[in-house]
Amino acid sequence: MIIFTLRRLNLLLFTVLLLTLLSFSLSYLFPGDALINLSGEINATPAQLAILSDEYRHQENIFMQYWAYLSHVFSGDLGISMASHLPIIEEIKILLPATIELSLAALLLAMFVGVPIGFIAAIKHEKLADNIILTVAMFGYSIPVFWLGLLAILVFSIQLGWLPSAGQISLLYEIKHVTGFQIIDILLSDSAYKWQAFQNATAHMILPTVVVALAPATIFVRLARTAMLEVLDKSYIRAAKAKGLSFGQIIYHHAIRNAMVKVIRDVGLQFANLVTIAMVTEVIFSWPGIGRWLIESIYQRDYTAIQSGLLMLSSFIFLVHIITDFIYAALNPLARESNHGA
Amino acid sequence: MARDKIYQEEEFPSPLLQLWHNFRQSPVVLVGFSCFAFLIILAIFAPLITPYSSIENHLDKLLLPPAWDKDGDISFLLGTDDLGRDLFSRLMHGTSLTFGLSFVVVIVSLVIGVFIGSLSALSSGIRSSFLNHFLDVILSIPSLLLAIVIVAILGPGLDNTLWAIVMVLIPQFVHVTRNAVKEEFTKDYVLASRLDGASSLRILRYSVFPNIIEKIISYATLAQSAAILDIAALGFLGLGAPIPLPEWGAMLSSGIDLFYIAPWTVYLPGLAILFSVIATNLVGEGMRHALKIGKES
Amino acid sequence: MVVLAMSNKPLQMNLLKLKALKTSLVAGFSFFLGACDSLDNISLKQKSIVYCAEGSPESFNPQTVTSGTTIDTTAKHLYDRLISFKADDHTIGPALAKSWHVTRDGKKITFYLRKDVSFHSTDNFTPTRKLNADDVLFSFNRILDKNHAFHEVSGGNYPFFQSVKFDELVENIEKINDYTVRFTLSQSDSSFLSNLATDFAIILSQEYGEQLAQDNRHQQIDILPVGTGPYKLEEYRPGSLIRYKPHDTYWQGESTLSQLLFDITPSNTGRLTKLLTGECDIVAYPIAHEKINEREDLILEAVTAFNVGYMGFNTQKAPFNNKQVRTAIAHAINKQAIIEAVYFGHADVATSLLPKNSWAYNSDIKGHEYSIEFAKSLLTASGYPDGFTMDIWAMPVQRAYNPNALTMAKLIQADLKLIGITVNIVSYEWGTFLRKLSQGEHQSVLLGWSADHPDPDNFFSPLLSCNSALSGNNRVFWCNEAFDQVLNESLSTNNIGLRKKYYAKALDIIAEEVPLIPIAHSKRFQARNANIKGELLHSIGGIDFATVSKK
Repeated sequence: MIIFTLRRLNLLLFTVLLLTLLSFSLSYLFPGDALINLSGEINATPAQLAILSDEYRHQENIFMQYWAYLSHVFSGDLGISMASHLPIIEEIKILLPATIELSLAALLLAMFVGVPIGFIAAIKHEKLADNIILTVAMFGYSIPVFWLGLLAILVFSIQLGWLPSAGQISLLYEIKHVTGFQIIDILLSDSAYKWQAFQNATAHMILPTVVVALAPATIFVRLARTAMLEVLDKSYIRAAKAKGLSFGQIIYHHAIRNAMVKVIRDVGLQFANLVTIAMVTEVIFSWPGIGRWLIESIYQRDYTAIQSGLLMLSSFIFLVHIITDFIYAALNPLARESNHGA
Repeated sequence: MARDKIYQEEEFPSPLLQLWHNFRQSPVVLVGFSCFAFLIILAIFAPLITPYSSIENHLDKLLLPPAWDKDGDISFLLGTDDLGRDLFSRLMHGTSLTFGLSFVVVIVSLVIGVFIGSLSALSSGIRSSFLNHFLDVILSIPSLLLAIVIVAILGPGLDNTLWAIVMVLIPQFVHVTRNAVKEEFTKDYVLASRLDGASSLRILRYSVFPNIIEKIISYATLAQSAAILDIAALGFLGLGAPIPLPEWGAMLSSGIDLFYIAPWTVYLPGLAILFSVIATNLVGEGMRHALKIGKES
Repeated sequence: MVVLAMSNKPLQMNLLKLKALKTSLVAGFSFFLGACDSLDNISLKQKSIVYCAEGSPESFNPQTVTSGTTIDTTAKHLYDRLISFKADDHTIGPALAKSWHVTRDGKKITFYLRKDVSFHSTDNFTPTRKLNADDVLFSFNRILDKNHAFHEVSGGNYPFFQSVKFDELVENIEKINDYTVRFTLSQSDSSFLSNLATDFAIILSQEYGEQLAQDNRHQQIDILPVGTGPYKLEEYRPGSLIRYKPHDTYWQGESTLSQLLFDITPSNTGRLTKLLTGECDIVAYPIAHEKINEREDLILEAVTAFNVGYMGFNTQKAPFNNKQVRTAIAHAINKQAIIEAVYFGHADVATSLLPKNSWAYNSDIKGHEYSIEFAKSLLTASGYPDGFTMDIWAMPVQRAYNPNALTMAKLIQADLKLIGITVNIVSYEWGTFLRKLSQGEHQSVLLGWSADHPDPDNFFSPLLSCNSALSGNNRVFWCNEAFDQVLNESLSTNNIGLRKKYYAKALDIIAEEVPLIPIAHSKRFQARNANIKGELLHSIGGIDFATVSKK
């Protein structure tokens, strides 16, 4: 386990290095002055620019510049947004939790729905149920998510009027940002309308969560199905059968657990995929997350925001990746020996 | 299998032909394959056979519903948009953009990716380990996100979108090829030709490639369905195809403003994307299925 | 059901289970939905108004902008002016100044301030005194005095004031006593009072300014605003919402609402959806008018607005530095088609810059006739027989004068193709768009102008004078001395007949030089829930919630 941890830390270090390097080079790749791209100070006077240039060591060689950038990043200074002139770290503190909230809810939904269905498909292998499940799953991951989102709004918000169409919570409720996670913030707040706000926030979450979860759920169906089929093919299952255990017992006691371990291995990779889907969904449902903000930053040519937003988002995705690797390793000792988890 | 010829090798079908044989056995896959072939033909000939130009405005025929609606007009089969442009023509033309270009993109990145991948499979040591780490990092970033980054650097536009998707797909093909080649290299037949004195490159060309080509093509179908969705998503977000071009995602996003008065401008492009992705996925599904049968038999 | 239950027991069990599941599902759902109807909630909803705006404000200080979005979302809620337009007849009435006096030569104007006006008390500022002459001096000196501590904050641009040459006009502002201020002008100016009554001429707090200067936080004056208006800023999330709370010591009495919300929804369909689902009470620039008219609980309303939508050329850049090219394009655009496709017929074709309801409107000016052949011949004569490639910048937000610039751009793209010109359509997010425009990065642009006051000068000076070319508000960067001369002559007199003649001449110069092509004069639309009472749309200036209430 120690070697495994060291390997992962090594990978994490390498990744963070690579990502910061990428983000640093973006300031040169983007149009405009690198210093302004890094700091976001588009209205700076020459005097202010001179101070900035000093801070970011822009008179020195490129390595020192990168070093200065790194120290800025690690002290939490990502510059200010070119569009709103607010510190980017403050914006991200509000935005990233909203995205995490949506993605986690969707991930859980996708797993709770997808994995059992996948197991059922495997158990009914090559029967009607299996075929139906596979066909539906194929539709699920072929639907363009932006289209699905629009249809969902049309049906559930407009025609049926059941669920709200946009945002994270009705604007009427005034919830102070403490953690950035809406649900937690509501529970922490002392608003007189706390309970209504909670219900309202939950209602706002349903549509976007389902839309984000659909494609990953179908992938979980396939993953779970494959994993279960593999497990059912194993000799210990045959041994259990030979011992006279009923099919239900075999599935319940032996197969599910082992198949789950295999599914968890892929959660990290699926999560990355899910976050991308969430980015597009955020645009459609006006979800105030980092994905929508990032895409708007592209429209606004807010290079400082793009660069820092990417750094934070991809670091976050990678962190989840590593965490699921750890969970997998904890559940499956064999994995600790292998070189690459994913 | 009874055969008349003495030399079995002559009669033995090539891997691709074998694939096709397995392919034909499943009607669903065959339907998918026909749709796929139809889309390719449409993509090539669409600009020639559309009833109207895709950017021609018919200002007296604004927002006409599809022909089966009571207000529809048979000469505009799928209706018109807010500028009176014929949706049928635009969707057909869009096939060459969204579907056709995604096909080209996949081919280009396949060639580059397989080239780099097989070369890198032959290397080892620090360089290999670095590449491994590097691929791990790149592959952990979702393709659409990476494409958005590249578009942000290059600036919005269709060309830039395509380059971005090529750049996103290359590492994936590198990864697949590299793993496949490495796996093949551990097999006995490779050892046999090595003992015959064949160079690595020769083994690669004559022994390994024929055996991994199906795997790569099956991966290519996955890549293509991702490419279609990515091109459409970037078009939808306004980062892809420029304004008059009838790229499906861009069409869908310009239809949003007409959602209430002309919902078909949203339904139809969405259906077109769905149709092409399903056709592509069916082909891929069939290919993987056939591969599995091939392995088992 | 009974028959089934008797004949088949397990089935009954299943049915019961199903029923139980159904009720629990329904209960679960009503748990989410029913919540909206609980008693507390109704009171919260009844005391809040949600206005769905089409974009974010660029700044919370209207002095520094001209964009209508910013005016709508900030000006009349946060601030007051010395004087204001009366809603009914657009004459000038008292506001922070309870009365004023103009000397016979028109050069000295004295304002007598109210004594009971208090500023907002916010999280980072608690006022210790009421409004007085120092605040008026502070607000205008920020614009006029280049050495003022706050002049350079937010870029140092005051586009509206620069375009009317405020700094040349005002020689000096003096404090006579705590509640009396006198403006001395270099010459009499017939639009001076109108300019002071616009949404731009707001009064800031000098005390707040001093406090910020002490802490060296100057830029916060425009980010965390303090004014005297009926609402104060509680929360702003860029691109998402503005939350205003009532100003409890407002001099005209506290608002009956407990909060005023601006839900920033740039998507047209998004705004309509929110109106239909009741997430918004009022929406700006609604689309799909038939859909709104179908519903009895929604009201679609329109006011005749003083505005013009136009296509402007960057006259500093080739090929549009050539008058003939501009004229050729003016003849190639099918305005009637634009009125049908973009405005759905709810607009008049513009023949000149001035709308029909302006007193200086001149029906003798006919505009450029639509003629492809003539356009083509002009283009050939100007040295571009094969056409060229150009960019059109289409603004990304909906305004009354142009509800859909993108569609308009597409139509013009098709029109110009007929005379051999290839058009690329360019668009940016609104703030970026305006910034890049004022830097002159465009070749041509689809934009428009809503008048800030009824004086016709407001259509000319801010849009096309040499001064506004310097400040970047003149998006065509066109400077014509004869034109400026005519405008100045018109301003120096109060004789309406004479002024009419001068403006006719100005319009002639525009028709001849074509720095821009006027396209349409449109009504301004708005949709609201029927339970919202009061008038918030006016023909001139931004929206005003003063008389608005919710039933």
